[in-house]
Amino acid sequence: MTDPIPLVPDLRIALGRIQLPNPILVASGTFGYAREMARLVRLDRLGGIIPKTITQQPRPGNRPWRTVETASGLLNSIGLDNDGIDAFIAHHLPYLVTLRAPIIVSIAGKSADEFVGMAERLGGCAGLTALELNVSCPNVSGGVDYGADSRQCFDVVSRVRARCGLPIIVKLTPNVTRIVDIAKSASDAGADAISLINTVLGMAIDWRHRRPLLGNVVGGLSGPAIKPIALRCVYQVSRAVRTPLIGIGGISTIDDVMEFLVAGASAIQIGTANYTDPTVSMRLLDQLPVALTEAGVPSAAELVGTLRVESSP
Amino acid sequence: MNPLNAACYADRAIWCRAPVVENLVIAESTFRVRIPCPELARRIIPGQFVMLRLAERSDPLLARPFALYDTYRDAGELAGIDVVYLVKGRFTTAMSRCGAGTEVEIWGPLGNGFSSRPVEHLIMVAGGIGQTPFLALGAEFLGRKRFGEPERERGTARRVTFCYGARRSSMLAGLDDFRNQGIDVRVATDDGSAGHHGFVTDLLRQLLEGEVSLAQARIACCGPEPMMAAVARIAKEAGVACELSLETPMACGIGVCFTCVARIRTDHAEGWDYKRTCVEGPVFDATQVLL
Repeated sequence: MTDPIPLVPDLRIALGRIQLPNPILVASGTFGYAREMARLVRLDRLGGIIPKTITQQPRPGNRPWRTVETASGLLNSIGLDNDGIDAFIAHHLPYLVTLRAPIIVSIAGKSADEFVGMAERLGGCAGLTALELNVSCPNVSGGVDYGADSRQCFDVVSRVRARCGLPIIVKLTPNVTRIVDIAKSASDAGADAISLINTVLGMAIDWRHRRPLLGNVVGGLSGPAIKPIALRCVYQVSRAVRTPLIGIGGISTIDDVMEFLVAGASAIQIGTANYTDPTVSMRLLDQLPVALTEAGVPSAAELVGTLRVESSP
Repeated sequence: MNPLNAACYADRAIWCRAPVVENLVIAESTFRVRIPCPELARRIIPGQFVMLRLAERSDPLLARPFALYDTYRDAGELAGIDVVYLVKGRFTTAMSRCGAGTEVEIWGPLGNGFSSRPVEHLIMVAGGIGQTPFLALGAEFLGRKRFGEPERERGTARRVTFCYGARRSSMLAGLDDFRNQGIDVRVATDDGSAGHHGFVTDLLRQLLEGEVSLAQARIACCGPEPMMAAVARIAKEAGVACELSLETPMACGIGVCFTCVARIRTDHAEGWDYKRTCVEGPVFDATQVLL
């Protein structure tokens, strides 16, 4: 006899040391510092909020144009426009920690030392759930290297792990030959979770004026166009490491959410869809219990990695 | 409080999905779409904008920003808003093919809007489709219409003049709408097919030359960047206050994506910083904008 399936599926998710009320998070760079969304979204319902990536020093960001729409996708090169960690701690953190949603701070360093220094400071701030190491921003020189090189990735993650008590999520880029290798090094270095994927490097051109459309020439592609790439990455990595995964890439419908969970992600982040519908996270949270019930599982956790792949004869 | 350059997060915004009531051609390549959204219509003020998107489609993917053209009533009650747009890119082309009943997603009101400080003479200067915020603004300043809930302190002006430049006469949109509100409309076209043959800035110069009290006038301007830069220069030389509504590309409209930045004067070492047009604008004092 099997246990009866509860009427309301259990949405709680554990990612290593991280406990989340549900698996639906909002991705860094697509949700501002949460304040901007407060009128349109019930922030306390979210599984987690990841504010826009911060850096050690203020950065003005790249020159416009900073985004270009492409077929079912969005190409961006914002350039980590932010006011730096001091302004974040002074102005944004006090608000964020009042929100009753898990707050995961995304940081990007130009060097391992910068990552460690920022992590140490944030480790001393009350009310944070985890850090997400943005080792994969394609728009900043330096940043992407840590996500493209197994050894450097191991180095930065293990050093942050040693110096900061907060759980660590490592966000990976798909712009590598073998993402599994990078994921393994993040896992070996003690990451609590791995989020994937960041944007896919791309370009858009105005041929009439013979010029690139982005001020930074190249940028990162996001949105529905990249979902198959993200699903593939989650699938491959989930087969190779035991570290819990957070899926990101083109998620905008409940079917997308379910596909990522089945593929092996324990949680997901909504990115570009926050732009196309700022209320999308609320709709997905409404729909998730219904979809889990349809899937016949008593909890979100039990759907994770249930993909059935027939081996070839 | 001066709304200019203060971060206006979407704290009054609502999101809704609605079927288009009508989508009419009002000039060459220019449409007016009517969208039922009573709550949004009650809150929005002149110079604010909405994000508009075709529902259930991933191409075009993003919403686009559109200024409030006007609010409309149905059976005496505020029922929704009118948006006027020029068919130019993929979104507006797709939008132009939508008939009554097409579902759109809309969120707003967004941005700060034009200031409501009373003035003797309000001079509105528009180039092309930059004309869209000025019907509501002019109507408000002449006491024909009120906007905002709670109603904002209404701007007043003894005179409202609208200097409107377009490529040719067939692209002039909504002239009767403006005249019906008592707005003094002056037209310039690039090819001379209507009004003054030349730039809209010529009209502005003429107007300012005949102005009795420049300190009692204010310019509100929207259009292509070179035109706004010229208007800002003229205003500065004449010593007239001037507000610009910037039309930067946007992805989210609510301050989270950092796409729509413009160079705004600050006390930074460089003398300026990128500011988000959607939440810190779209209306800026002309002296603050580096065009």
